[in-house]
Amino acid sequence: MSDDKRKKEEMTAIQSSEVRPGAVPPNASISRKLRDFYDAVQEEGIPDRFLDLLERLEQAEKNAKPVNAK
Amino acid sequence: MSKEDEIDDRGFKRDLLASLPNLRAFAVSLTGRHDKADDLVQDTIMKAWANQTSFTAGTNMRAWLFTILRNEFYSQMRKRGREVQDSDGLFSERFSVHPEQYGRLDLQDFRKALDKLPDDQREAIILVGAAGFAYEEAAAICGCAVGTIKSRVSRARTRLQELLGVSGEGDYGPDAGDAAITSRAFGS
Repeated sequence: MSDDKRKKEEMTAIQSSEVRPGAVPPNASISRKLRDFYDAVQEEGIPDRFLDLLERLEQAEKNAKPVNAK
Repeated sequence: MSKEDEIDDRGFKRDLLASLPNLRAFAVSLTGRHDKADDLVQDTIMKAWANQTSFTAGTNMRAWLFTILRNEFYSQMRKRGREVQDSDGLFSERFSVHPEQYGRLDLQDFRKALDKLPDDQREAIILVGAAGFAYEEAAAICGCAVGTIKSRVSRARTRLQELLGVSGEGDYGPDAGDAAITSRAFGS
């Protein structure tokens, strides 16, 4: 868990090192449009069909796992 | 099943759910339409679920899921053959499904421009510029060198600028400064 967190922080560090603080990054308007487009889809959330699917997968796994397969 | 396994399973589902909106946005970016994207996400969820023992706990699940989805996308494309791309047609269909999200002309134009990029450039700029992956991670997901990803991202940006007419002419309002810097960066 803490490893995960550290990794995430490193990732952020790598990415932010590409853009110097205080400097307007080149291609900013393209980058902004790209994120706007992407975020618009992300903000739609998770369609019910995927929640149902995961529910069914989980249920099927519970039913089919009398013996520990691992 | 031991208590530990149960906890792992719950963690797997939780992490998968947490990654879904981002994964789905990637699928929409790759396929250009919501219906196909959701089919692709569904296939990815089933594959991921069936292979969850091959996922190493503590590693980046988002990168793992993106890799599965990407492989699935290209293998389906190879099987079916590339369908005729009709950005305008695709887009009007998207409008009929999600008018509120795509009401902004800006995003519509951007979507069209994105559709015109070669697949490898599009996925590179999406992974790095929108999905939040580092170059190294994007390279691992695409199975290529870091330098290759960097050059694809750079070419994608240049192409998008051409397609969207971002030239630093000052017609972009608050973006004018950005555009000027951009043209300087690419002018040399």
